[in-house]
Amino acid sequence: MTLLLKLWSLYARVSARFPALRSIVPFIPVVALWAVVAESGMFPRAFFPGPLEVVHSFGTLVYKGILPDYLEDSIVRLAVGTAAGVALGIPLGVLVGLNQRAHALLWPVLLFFQAIGDIAWLPILLIWFGFSLTTMTFVIVYTVLFPVVLNTALGVRSVPLELHRAAASLGASRARTIWEVVLPGALPNIMTGLRNGLGYGWRALIAAEIIVGTSGIGFLMFDARRAGSVVEILLGMIVLGLLWYMVDAWVLAPIERATGQRWGLVTR
Amino acid sequence: MKRLLLRNLSKTYFDPYAGAHVTAVHDVSLEVQQGEFVSIVGPSGCGKTTILNMIAGFIPASGGEILLDGRAVDGPGPERGVVFQSFALFPWKTVLDNVAFGPRIRGLPKAECEKIAREYLALAGLAHAAGRYPNELSGGMQQRVGVVRALANNPDVLLMDEPFASVDAQTRMTLQEELTRIWQERRPTIIFITHDVGEAVFLANRVVVLSKGRILKEIAVPLPRPRAWDRLTEDAAFKALCGQVLQLVRSA
Repeated sequence: MTLLLKLWSLYARVSARFPALRSIVPFIPVVALWAVVAESGMFPRAFFPGPLEVVHSFGTLVYKGILPDYLEDSIVRLAVGTAAGVALGIPLGVLVGLNQRAHALLWPVLLFFQAIGDIAWLPILLIWFGFSLTTMTFVIVYTVLFPVVLNTALGVRSVPLELHRAAASLGASRARTIWEVVLPGALPNIMTGLRNGLGYGWRALIAAEIIVGTSGIGFLMFDARRAGSVVEILLGMIVLGLLWYMVDAWVLAPIERATGQRWGLVTR
Repeated sequence: MKRLLLRNLSKTYFDPYAGAHVTAVHDVSLEVQQGEFVSIVGPSGCGKTTILNMIAGFIPASGGEILLDGRAVDGPGPERGVVFQSFALFPWKTVLDNVAFGPRIRGLPKAECEKIAREYLALAGLAHAAGRYPNELSGGMQQRVGVVRALANNPDVLLMDEPFASVDAQTRMTLQEELTRIWQERRPTIIFITHDVGEAVFLANRVVVLSKGRILKEIAVPLPRPRAWDRLTEDAAFKALCGQVLQLVRSA
């Protein structure tokens, strides 16, 4: 027990000096277990390859230029879809959050369409737009939009009445109050919406690529299934996980640290 | 003279839980001269915050009128600054930006806004805290920011709604002394809402005792200034005034 505690405090000290370790160390047991199961020969090698084979396949696909191209396609699709979803979602959320009538009219409709999950739209979209970029973009925008709208509305409503009053008594117009009080006050919720939206959007993108795609990570995995290449499927799965981790650690978390956490709106 | 005039002011609202109309403020008339410091004191539920919210323009009056400098009050405006019990600072703005908010809204150039904000922060002894965020300050410091944020906008009337009710007792005394000092230096018109009799008498030139939505009595406070707690606590005139007000409040 004391040994474990000592090991833990050693880890705490070392990882404080090299923060990158905090992203790597937790995965060591996972990869080790995977390697042990693969090496044990419990499953045929072609069905259950080990970590080394996946690394090798990673090297090959990068060398051939397939992986970077597909990755770029997926990321660009997600970025464009997310940007559009956010650009539509935040104003709509502010409207629904601030205006009683808009809330009464739009909220039920929003809940209804939120329930029709992203890929549930694919059958009809395929008929309307075929196997096209439009179909894929629609699915991502749709998926990102709802968490952003609903959370923005929630955040807007969570801004205390006193802050509205303070701004008004200092002479701020309605528009000015929205810009300087409502939006920053809603930002922690908007970030939650963005986080959820990106998460769902990422999943929807892979699903759409599997069905619609001619490129992208989802297509890579589905194409590998056709060729019976378990290694490449595993590789695709790992890339998905890694990419999400990077988006969180390099984009979302820093924004949250610089805003809501700094302002004391959310506890660390 | 920028005079604040409340004429037969009343407020009734529908209470959905009681299922009936409730009169919170009943036929209140009050005249406040420019540069006066008036306290409105009364037990909770006596309508004092309702009156302040009507003067601020946050809620409409049901009857009567409010005139500032001859013009009827209609909605919130920068000529009536408000200091809130909950401070109501903008958490995403630094202390400096909070205080500069009013001048910036007025459209003054950026350098001018910063100059004004720094001047007022210095007035409240907060020059060192300019770059910090409100959540990094103690309650007492936050309310100092709240007061100078309202003052920096140079309002005709400063409306203060139990501003020191949520800070500890020692800090409260310091804040009260600072407020009297700032009032003497700048002479803003102040309407100060409180349920604390000692606070009402200590600060004001005139104490208005409110009960069940009506003005019970107005009492002049001729105590000399500057006022300080270590002198006034034992002062016979102060004690007599407090006793008189307390009796009115308790009889209410």
